[in-house]
Amino acid sequence: MKKYFMAAAICCLITLSACGESGKTAVEPDGKLDPCTLRFSWWGGDDRHEATLKAIELWNKKNPKIEIIPEYGGWDGWTEKVSAQISGGTEPDIMQINYDWLISFSPDGSGFYDLGKLDKQIDLTNFDEGVLSFGKSDGVLNAMTVSVSGRGLFYNSETYKRLGADYPKTWSDLIALGEKFSSEDIYPMDLDIQSGGTAWYLAVVYVQQQTGRSFISMDGELGFTEDDIRNALDFYKLLEENHVIRTVDVRTDEDGSASLYQSAEFIDGRVAGVLEWGSSVGKYEMALPDGVLEAGPLLSDDNGNCSGWMIKPSVMYALSNNTQYPDEAAAFMDFMLNDEECAEILGTTRGIPSSRKAEKHLEEKGLLKGLAQENDKLLENLDTVTISPYMELSQMKNIYNTIIEQVSYGKLDTQEAAHEMYISITEYLEKIRK
Amino acid sequence: MKKRIYHNPVGVGKYTGLMLIIPFILGFLLFTLYPFISSFILGMTDYDSIREPVFSGLDNYASMLKSREFRNAAWVTIKYTVILVPLKLTVSLAAALLLNMKLKFMGVYRTIFYIPSILGSNLAIVIMWQFLFTSDGLVNQLFGLAGVEPIGWYGNSNGAMAIIILLRLWEFGSAMIIFLNALRDIPREYYEAANVDGCGKIRSFFVITVPLLKNVIFLNLILQLISAMQEFNAPYMITGGGPMKSTYTVGMLIYDEMFRYHNAGYANAVSWTLFMLITAAVILLFALTGRHKEERV
Amino acid sequence: MKKFLIYFFMTAAALVMIYPLLWLIGASFKSNEEIFSSPWFIPKSIDLSVYVKAWQTVTGRSMGHYFLNTFKIIIPKTVFAVISSTLVAYGFARFDFPFKRLFYALFMGTMFMPAIVTVMPSYLMWSRLGILDTYIPLTLPALFAAEGTFVFMLIQFFKGIPKEFDEAARIDGCNCIQLLIYILVPCIRPVIVSISVFTFLWTMNDFLNPLIMISSVEKYPLSLILRLSADSTGNGYEQNRIIAVSVIGLIPSVAIFAAAQKKFISGITAGGLSG
Repeated sequence: MKKYFMAAAICCLITLSACGESGKTAVEPDGKLDPCTLRFSWWGGDDRHEATLKAIELWNKKNPKIEIIPEYGGWDGWTEKVSAQISGGTEPDIMQINYDWLISFSPDGSGFYDLGKLDKQIDLTNFDEGVLSFGKSDGVLNAMTVSVSGRGLFYNSETYKRLGADYPKTWSDLIALGEKFSSEDIYPMDLDIQSGGTAWYLAVVYVQQQTGRSFISMDGELGFTEDDIRNALDFYKLLEENHVIRTVDVRTDEDGSASLYQSAEFIDGRVAGVLEWGSSVGKYEMALPDGVLEAGPLLSDDNGNCSGWMIKPSVMYALSNNTQYPDEAAAFMDFMLNDEECAEILGTTRGIPSSRKAEKHLEEKGLLKGLAQENDKLLENLDTVTISPYMELSQMKNIYNTIIEQVSYGKLDTQEAAHEMYISITEYLEKIRK
Repeated sequence: MKKRIYHNPVGVGKYTGLMLIIPFILGFLLFTLYPFISSFILGMTDYDSIREPVFSGLDNYASMLKSREFRNAAWVTIKYTVILVPLKLTVSLAAALLLNMKLKFMGVYRTIFYIPSILGSNLAIVIMWQFLFTSDGLVNQLFGLAGVEPIGWYGNSNGAMAIIILLRLWEFGSAMIIFLNALRDIPREYYEAANVDGCGKIRSFFVITVPLLKNVIFLNLILQLISAMQEFNAPYMITGGGPMKSTYTVGMLIYDEMFRYHNAGYANAVSWTLFMLITAAVILLFALTGRHKEERV
Repeated sequence: MKKFLIYFFMTAAALVMIYPLLWLIGASFKSNEEIFSSPWFIPKSIDLSVYVKAWQTVTGRSMGHYFLNTFKIIIPKTVFAVISSTLVAYGFARFDFPFKRLFYALFMGTMFMPAIVTVMPSYLMWSRLGILDTYIPLTLPALFAAEGTFVFMLIQFFKGIPKEFDEAARIDGCNCIQLLIYILVPCIRPVIVSISVFTFLWTMNDFLNPLIMISSVEKYPLSLILRLSADSTGNGYEQNRIIAVSVIGLIPSVAIFAAAQKKFISGITAGGLSG
């Protein structure tokens, strides 16, 4: 009998001892480029994969001593994968990351490599100070912004032409359109609720424009009062009541779990507009015949005040704290961000490059065109607000969705809903910041 | 202390059985014990998967019980289980009885009946369900032909629950196969004898089939119960837990807290709660069916 | 007449079961607009290029490569699962031994725990052992009866075999293992076939485990490639290609099932008694 227990005890020890190892300190840069093999990971669709693989091929040809191994997949499950890797210390040397990961994975700036030490390899001068600051967590430069994006308004030009309507310029225009279109049961625009609170986004823009307050500050303080939130929810309700957007109920019944661009209602033009990131409007564009989707003006109030619209980095690159070759990894990152030949291969598969050098090159080659570019231009001329990474956290999106559903289904009036939302957000932000 | 007597066939030592289950014991120690213990401990910490866990005692359990989201998820899960499991057992047993007949082409039918289960959680199902159940989907069109008012499936709490249950019901294949495995063990002579005694089809089903299948009915009941209570994929794919969390199961809650909200401590506490709920449900079933004696292996 | 009714009923039921699949195959040839506009499954035109494109994948390797990867996981896993589950179930079902009830309770317990709990700890364990990005984390646990469902299934079926069989065999001089192999396993052969098929199908569909354990794209199993090809965040989004990719992924499962289905019901007892 004894030996069974012995065997069991040994097995147990092996397993449990496995969790003892502690984190090691990051390797310091030495300014030299040594031969090595590095892993680079990203998520995305086929167009991004194809272009990135080609860019890596180019790098491997130019720098045969520093080989880059690609690791990539779809977005579905990618956060889970990277979470596991980071807690196991097995993450790739170079990673494409999402904006809110800075908070989830590096709340104090120590979760990713300090890129400030690597300015010999990465040409930071190609980036505006403001763009660089997006990648800072607790003052440490953790990530480089690949591109900046904001949500814009895009319309089905055929439907608008058929109904003899112009694209709305102000909020009141938009609401008037809802009534005008309702006789034909057409919606001037719609929002994609399931995919992260588009509805809330629009309502926030509206209130920010009115009050000049930001919803959440960069370091995670709630800027809105309970009244502001109520104001935003009232605005949302107004859109529904005036047939500007579908109610959650109608939308869910009609589309099921499909995204708006896959839905019959969008494809046949019954939903004639959408609020979408400039960087990912392509799938809406493709769902309609060529040239049908057009960018419209960003809405302002009746006095022409058009502030309050928001921007954020759409994707970023970061280095692992565990990389053995920070210089080499940084050199590759610089290549992906600033190299002209590489920029030409990548095009706008990760949005319009924030690196001035890359952007200029694409512009010269005539590669910057289409809706993404138009939207970018519109936002550039406005007084925009930078979205706080805290606004993008999944739990926050869960709160927006839940409250908006309650309001839309009439389970809560906007006053109760605003109160609940205010409390949930305050509590959550407090918890996450500590 | 009384010495235990081991009831084994003559010539079989008391360690023979133990040797046979060594794979399980090793597997338990290597792959299960550590995750179990660490998850139990993490359930009593505040842990975001990145920073060091901080001990917080029973806080997670307390806030779970207070949380409306958890209570709702538990209710949804129980409702889902109570509706789905009996339906699925009935359908799979009926299908197995049909497919067990010695008729031509049964192989083809068996394969066709299993196809939905092969699809499992394939992405294609999402597209298919949309095609079937959106406002002007196939089902509502058929309803229209039959003069029935169309139903809003996705946007209404009961409709959304119904289409998830329908998906899992449609995938009855695995339970059906387990029944088929067992049905072939029933000698045909039993039915012939019953027939001679003037037993009708229905009576012989209850007199012969059910008693002989009771091991397997119980087996399927337990297996279906476990998988229904842990359900995550179907609502995740089809409804995203909505509308208004009406299809948000405990399994989804655990997944979200663990991976999306980086709230691993809480997620582990909920996992242990689900574990205890399932254990309680199984013990209850044992007691209700009087199997606790038979299961005493 | 009765036979006719049975066939009629079965065919109607079969149609409900298979219609969505037919629709799916049809939809793989349809454009985005056509997919939702028509409930009829036959497409306007058939253009196989969507399958050719789906087969090629974006990774530079064809789908064939990833099928092979999947089989490298499935084959050892199935063999391991069958052997280990049978031994363990035999031990629990037929013998009495010290701490049996404790072990049985632990065993049942492993089935009740949501699988997601073990994902992170086992990832960390494999990572410390340095064998991530291999198929070992995906296959080795099967050698230790990791799928409790199978053991539980087999226990129930072992119990259904009369103990007299064992005694008769013992009198003929069989030892425990011979008894298992020559007497009991043939009796439950259909169950063993079921277990193999379940392992096959579930491994085919498993997504989260390979996603986390495998990082090199050339080692991805099919399920990861399917998701990669079906990603909707990109700008080049064609629904019919996603469907085509899914259809390709289903072929081996349907084939395996069709090949195995006869074995679910035919066994020695059935043949012996019904003839």
